[in-house]
Amino acid sequence: MADAAIRVLGARKVYSVPGKPRRTAVADVSITVDAGTIHGLLGPNGAGKTTTLKMLLGLVKPSAGTFEVLGADSTRPSGRRHLGFLPEQPYFPIHLTARQAMRFYGSLVGLEAEVVKEQTASLLDRVGLADAERTELSKFSRGMLQRLGIAQALLGSPEVVIFDEPASGLDPVGQRDVRNLMLELRAAGITVLLSSHQLSEVEAVCDRVTILNRGTVAAEGDINALLNVDGRTSVRATGMDALPSQVASEAEDTVVSGGVWVFSVPTAATRTVVDAIDDAGGTIVAITPKRESLEDYFASLLASGPKGVES
Amino acid sequence: MIKRIWPIAAAVMMDSLRRKVVYVVLVFAALLVLAIPSLPDYGLGVESAVYREIALALSYVTGLVIALSLAANRVPSELEKRTVYNVLSKGVSRWEYLVGTWLGILGVMAGAIVAFTTVEMVMGYFTYGELMWRLWQGALATWLEMGVISAFAVAVSSVAGPVVVVTATLAALFIGHSRSTLLGGEGALAFKPFYPSLDAFNVVNPVAHGTGVPLVYVLSMIVVFIGFAGVCLSLGVALLGRRDL
Repeated sequence: MADAAIRVLGARKVYSVPGKPRRTAVADVSITVDAGTIHGLLGPNGAGKTTTLKMLLGLVKPSAGTFEVLGADSTRPSGRRHLGFLPEQPYFPIHLTARQAMRFYGSLVGLEAEVVKEQTASLLDRVGLADAERTELSKFSRGMLQRLGIAQALLGSPEVVIFDEPASGLDPVGQRDVRNLMLELRAAGITVLLSSHQLSEVEAVCDRVTILNRGTVAAEGDINALLNVDGRTSVRATGMDALPSQVASEAEDTVVSGGVWVFSVPTAATRTVVDAIDDAGGTIVAITPKRESLEDYFASLLASGPKGVES
Repeated sequence: MIKRIWPIAAAVMMDSLRRKVVYVVLVFAALLVLAIPSLPDYGLGVESAVYREIALALSYVTGLVIALSLAANRVPSELEKRTVYNVLSKGVSRWEYLVGTWLGILGVMAGAIVAFTTVEMVMGYFTYGELMWRLWQGALATWLEMGVISAFAVAVSSVAGPVVVVTATLAALFIGHSRSTLLGGEGALAFKPFYPSLDAFNVVNPVAHGTGVPLVYVLSMIVVFIGFAGVCLSLGVALLGRRDL
């Protein structure tokens, strides 16, 4: 088993304001992120994702729980020195240029001036801001600020990176770039904790996911294991005007488009279905375990989730 | 530690260079300095001591306006705009952030007070033909007091907005210079040693009318400055440390 790069155990945050009822933002959250993996953190608004991340980063004082990054207590500043963080909707001093902002953040992580210069050039190029190095941030678009946020998170070559909604404000090309960047980081052995509303993004890159709902962990595990539907197989076939009767009797969720039939059958009947299609002159394009879309899984999970957290 | 504090202080100083309020205050105060010799009462043979006294007062007000404008806004603005997230997530302690911010304000005030005192010196030389070196003692006292005031403002700003910070700081300034008024009665004499008095930084008489401030007194002012600023910043660190961002 891989070492844990991030470990959150029993996180709890209760906000207490005099004269107002106590509000539990996070009731009990435990997350373990293996080193060198991309771990998704999912949940609806108010699920406790951002509060959990803030506790991990020492921005919010936890009511309970332990928070570790690479074995060090991340609520202490010394425990965050190998960590890069992209906040949701990152803000910067807007009078700085992109290069000045990178120089400032680079100096905070203790980089020498020469190293900051090198990393600034390579990271701005990597996020597509090479041409905007000398542009004042007040002239940056929302997407450009997001890209700069990603670049500053990677200053100092952190071993662990936390991205809070990295695709927010980005166009489709930018979203693809971010996905590719995360995959490159993983290939380089860097651990990524990704908090996102974009389920397609999570589905595309994450090895494992933790789903939060109402301040607790609603589900956690390998994304394939979570989404695969036990006992059913998905079939794609072409070359048929209609499904053979043996297939039609077994098929569910049938969709046909452009001559391609997509449906699911009981896994035990797969052999029979394949033979029937073959006999009917059809061609099997693909046979895969039936997989629920993350959107459907998410919705059903939240509908049946715990409701124990007072708000 | 210094590697993390210095960039924050430098960022505050760079940011202040772009704030119009600093220049407006400096230019306005410089114009007033230039106008001092033309005051009607002043033209009737009043000595250069009055020039020094008014110059010190202008330095004080200039320093105060700059200290308040920077200290009251910097931290609340960073907390509200969440620019502080990028700083603290990089392993910077909250105390390093607060002290760095304060040092940056101190640096800006040093630059402003040096520039302003230079203008006063030049103006005094051309008007009275004398180099008023003692003004630098007054400048140092003003800078030290504004350092304490800005430390207080930074501390309050870690939990309150600009309006509250300015109000609280002006109240603290009033209290700091009202020991004899507030504790004048004999019944309150026992409290005097604990009174947070800023009178130690009042060197108007020896600078404007006397022979200057002895070195020992300058050193004692610095000790008072370190003590008060240290207490204020410790309070600010404690308040910010408990706050959820």
